[in-house]
Amino acid sequence: MSKIVIETTEVLKKRDLGQNCFHLILGTFSKTKSIKPGQFIHIKTINGGGVFFRRAFSIFDINPKENSIEILFKVFGRGTAELSKAQKGDKINVMGPLGNGFTLPSKKITSIIAGGGIGMPPLYFLAKYMIEKGYNSEKIWFFYGGKTKNELMELSKIKKLGINLVISTDDGSYGFKGFVSQAINDNFDGLNGQNILFACGPLGLLKAIDQMALREKMSGQISLEAPMPCGIGICLGCILPLREGGYTRVCREGPVYKIGEVIL
Amino acid sequence: MTPDLSIEIAGMKFNNPILTASGTCGYGEELADVFDLSHIGGIVTKSITVKPREGHPPPRTAETDSGMLNAIGLANVGVDRFIAEKLRFLEKFDTRVIVNVAGSTTQEYVDICSRLADYPRADMVELNFSCPNVQHGMAVATNPSLAENTVKEVTRVFSRPVIAKLSPNVTDITEIARACENGGASALSLINTLVGMAVDIETFRPRLTNNTGGLSGPAIKPVALAMVHKVYKAVRIPLIGIGGISNYRDVVEFFLCGARAVQIGTALFVQPDTPIQIIKDLKNYLSKNKFKNINEIVGQLRIY
Ligand SMILES: Cc1cc2nc3c(=O)[nH]c(=O)nc-3n(C[C@H](O)[C@@H](O)[C@@H](O)COP(=O)(O)OP(=O)(O)OC[C@H]3O[C@@H](n4cnc5c(N)ncnc54)[C@H](O)[C@@H]3O)c2cc1C
Ligand SMILES: Cc1cc2nc3c(=O)[nH]c(=O)nc-3n(C[C@H](O)[C@H](O)[C@H](O)COP(=O)(O)O)c2cc1C
Ligand code: FES
Repeated sequence: MSKIVIETTEVLKKRDLGQNCFHLILGTFSKTKSIKPGQFIHIKTINGGGVFFRRAFSIFDINPKENSIEILFKVFGRGTAELSKAQKGDKINVMGPLGNGFTLPSKKITSIIAGGGIGMPPLYFLAKYMIEKGYNSEKIWFFYGGKTKNELMELSKIKKLGINLVISTDDGSYGFKGFVSQAINDNFDGLNGQNILFACGPLGLLKAIDQMALREKMSGQISLEAPMPCGIGICLGCILPLREGGYTRVCREGPVYKIGEVIL
Repeated sequence: MTPDLSIEIAGMKFNNPILTASGTCGYGEELADVFDLSHIGGIVTKSITVKPREGHPPPRTAETDSGMLNAIGLANVGVDRFIAEKLRFLEKFDTRVIVNVAGSTTQEYVDICSRLADYPRADMVELNFSCPNVQHGMAVATNPSLAENTVKEVTRVFSRPVIAKLSPNVTDITEIARACENGGASALSLINTLVGMAVDIETFRPRLTNNTGGLSGPAIKPVALAMVHKVYKAVRIPLIGIGGISNYRDVVEFFLCGARAVQIGTALFVQPDTPIQIIKDLKNYLSKNKFKNINEIVGQLRIY
C-alpha cells in the first residue's frame, strides 16, 4: 500500500479569518488517521492562474471520524491567492501525508512550544496530539506571537487545550509586548536542559530559538520551510545547508529538524 | 482485448513505453512510496558522476509559466554509492533500469560505464550529453565528433545498449544525432532542457544562483516534438521522446512524430502518479482507435 496518496478532496468548510488568512477543512482524505503533527500536505490549486507547482501546507488539525483534514493559510503569492478563491464544495487535489513530523518528547519533561505567524498550525496540532496522548497539560507551554492582535488566529481553539498559553504581539496590541523569544524569557522560569523546545515560524523567531537553545543547552525541534516544487524528494529543489556539510531536502528529511542541524 | 503496450529497444523488451526521466525521479526510492515501480516501463536514474556532487546552492529551481527552470548542478551520490545502494534497491522491481551517466571528459564516461558493465541490473546506460548546468557539459553536446567518439569508447566497455541523450541547445540536432548513431548508440533520447532564465524584478537578481537554468515542462513540448520529428527522419535507431509530457495525448503526439518510448520528467513533480494514469489512458485510446499494438502508431504523422 502506498505511503503517500494523491486524492481529490472536497472543501467541506471554508472560513475567512481576516488579514488574508483562511481556514479550510478538506475531506475525505484516506490517510487522515496516520498523519503526525509536523507533517504537511501538498495542494494543487484550482485553476492554474499561472501556478504550476503544488503548494505545501502544514496540517492544523485532523478529524479521524470523518477523515477530514484542516489547514490554515495566509495569502502570500500566486498559489495561496488561487487557493483563497476555493469555495465550499470545490474539489481540491491533495497529496500526503508528507515529511517527517515532530518526534514526541518524554512525558516527564516540560515542552516549550513557540510559534509565530503562520508557523502556528503545526504547533497547535502538536499540542493537541500531546494532550490526546495523555501528556500533562501543565507541562506544556505554548508561546504564540504575531505582529499585531489581528494576526493571531484561532485563539479560542488554542485556549481550549487547557495548556499554559502566553500570547505576544510585536506592537503590544494583545498580550505580552515583544517577540516570542522575549515572551519566553520573561514568562518562563527555569529555562534549562530539562525542557525541550518546539518552534515554527518566521526566520527571525527560529534564529532566536536556535540561540536560546544553544545558550541554555536545551534540545529542541524546529519546523522549516523552503519553496517545494515536488514535496516528495525527487526534484532536489527544497534544499537547505546542513551544519555538518552538504544539503538536506526539507520535504523529505524535514521539515522538522533538531535544533542546530540546519544552518539558518 | 487490451492493446499491447510492450515495446522493444535494441532487443530489450519493456513492459510499456512509459519511463521516468533522469533527474526527476531520483533513484526510484521516493516514487516507490507513491506507486509500484513495476508498473512503469523503466526508470532512468539521476545522472551519476565519478565522484559524489552536492550541486549548486539554493535557490536552484524556479517556477515559470507552464514549467520550471532548474540548475541542480548534477547533485548525485557518485558511481560507488549508486552501485552499492541505489542499484540494489531497484533490483526488486520488474522494470527496466537505465542509468544516466554524466562526465566532464570522455574518459569519465568510460570509467563510469565500465563499472556499470559488471552489474546486469543496469540494463542500459543513457549518456547525458546535454547538461547545461555544469562546465564542459555543453562541449560534448554541441560537438558531433566528440559525441561520436564518446559513444564509441563507451560501447567498447559497456556491451548492453547505450542511449545518447541529446541537448536541444544546438543549431542542428540531426548532426549530433547522426554522429551518435555512427558512434554506435543503440537509441537516442531527446530532449534535455533548454537554457533559460527567470528574473526577480524586486531584487534585480536571477531567480537561480546559477543565473541560468534548464527549462522543462509543458512549455518545451512543441520544441521537443519538432526535434523528435526532425531526428526521426535523419536516423534509423529508435528514439525516446522527452519534453513536457503530462498526459496520454502528449505521448501519442510523440509517438506519431517517431518516438518508440517516452520519458516523463517535470510532470512527476506536480503529479507523481502521472505514468500510471498515462498507461491506463493509453490503453483506452488504442482500444478506442482499434490499434492492437502501440508500435502501430510510431511515425504515423501525416505531414503536409
Ligand atoms: C512544509 C511547509 C508547510 C507550510 N505550511 C503553511 C501553512 O500551514 N500555512 C501557510 O499559510 N503557509 C504554509 N506554507 C507556505 C505556503 O506553502 C505558501 O505560502 C508558500 O509556498 C508561498 O506560495 P505562494 O503561491 O503564495 O507564493 P509564490 O507566488 O509561490 O511565492 C512568492 C515568492 O516566495 C518564494 N516562495 C515560495 N514558496 C516558498 C516557501 N515555502 N518558503 C520560502 N519562500 C517561498 C517564491 O520563490 C517566490 O519568490 C508552508 C510551506 C512549507 C514548505
Ligand atoms: C530538476 C531536474 C533535474 C534534471 N536532471 C537531469 C539529469 O541529471 N540528467 C539528465 O540527463 N537530465 C536531467 N533533467 C532533464 C530531464 O530528464 C528531461 O530531459 C527534461 O526535464 C525535459 O522533460 P520534461 O519536460 O518532461 O521535464 C532534469 C530535469 C529537471 C527538471
Ligand atoms: S520539494 Fe522536491 S525535493 Fe523537496
